[in-house]
Amino acid sequence: MDIQLKRGLLEVCVLAAIRSEDSYGYQIIKDMKPYVELSESTLYPILRRLEAAELLTVRTAEHNGRLRKYYHITQSGLDRLENFKVEWEEIMSIYKFIVREDEQGDKG
Amino acid sequence: MTKAEFTGALRQRLGGLSAEDVDRSLEYYCEMIDDRIEDGLDEEEAVAALGSIDDIVSEILSDTPLRELIKERVTPRRGLRIWEIVLLVIGSPLWLAILISIAAAILSVYVSIWAAVISLYTVVLSLGAGAVSGFAGIIFSAVRGNSIASVAFAGAGLLCAGLTIFAFIGCNQVAKGVVVLSRRLLLAVKRSVAGKDVGK
Repeated sequence: MDIQLKRGLLEVCVLAAIRSEDSYGYQIIKDMKPYVELSESTLYPILRRLEAAELLTVRTAEHNGRLRKYYHITQSGLDRLENFKVEWEEIMSIYKFIVREDEQGDKG
Repeated sequence: MTKAEFTGALRQRLGGLSAEDVDRSLEYYCEMIDDRIEDGLDEEEAVAALGSIDDIVSEILSDTPLRELIKERVTPRRGLRIWEIVLLVIGSPLWLAILISIAAAILSVYVSIWAAVISLYTVVLSLGAGAVSGFAGIIFSAVRGNSIASVAFAGAGLLCAGLTIFAFIGCNQVAKGVVVLSRRLLLAVKRSVAGKDVGK
């Protein structure tokens, strides 16, 4: 898949992973695993970008005697997810157009 | 590799980043290792699960602007002493000239690569022009009643048109290759600025 496209999609996936409740790095990867394979090294820059864009905030909390970072989605992050759904409708209609051309091509 | 070995190696490879960025990256990866250990893996397995350090460093560097890497590299850790400032000023005709020539060398590589690409596209353009004038020649010859010349023009026009299409596809591939190559070159420059830090 095109790297820019995939990067954008993964950002939205990470936002979706923390939508219902705050989560931490390893949990995000585990939650996404059934749908999309994401490595730690890929997740790291995504989290940083989302934080810089203020789509999520980070807080540090103690867990089993060590520190763990929890990620919390902001209102802008929630807006981004809603926008994505609208954008996706557009992408789907483009997809339908491409497939339709294909079917016509097959017939001809 | 143990967790301590991993963090040591990563710290060394990220030497060119700001101390804050390095600490953040290390905190993140340590947390990942600890979470995996809590999940039942032993330490070495948890480290191995993170993948190669090369990949980790590439991901971090490709997301860090080159400007920041260089800034971090050239900013001294302590204030400059007076004699250092004096030396810098006295030596400026030398180091400034060297710095400018290095920058000029890098720029000239970029310019010459793109000049080559542009000249390839110029060839495509001239072939296209040949095709157009070939087809125009058909009409002129036909109007003058010279059918043999008309056929010759048609052949030349078609040949040029065919070559234009092939050359255009080839040029696009070359341009794409150059873009990929420049991206790799940038990553290589970033690596050399960030890694192998002997100053600290």
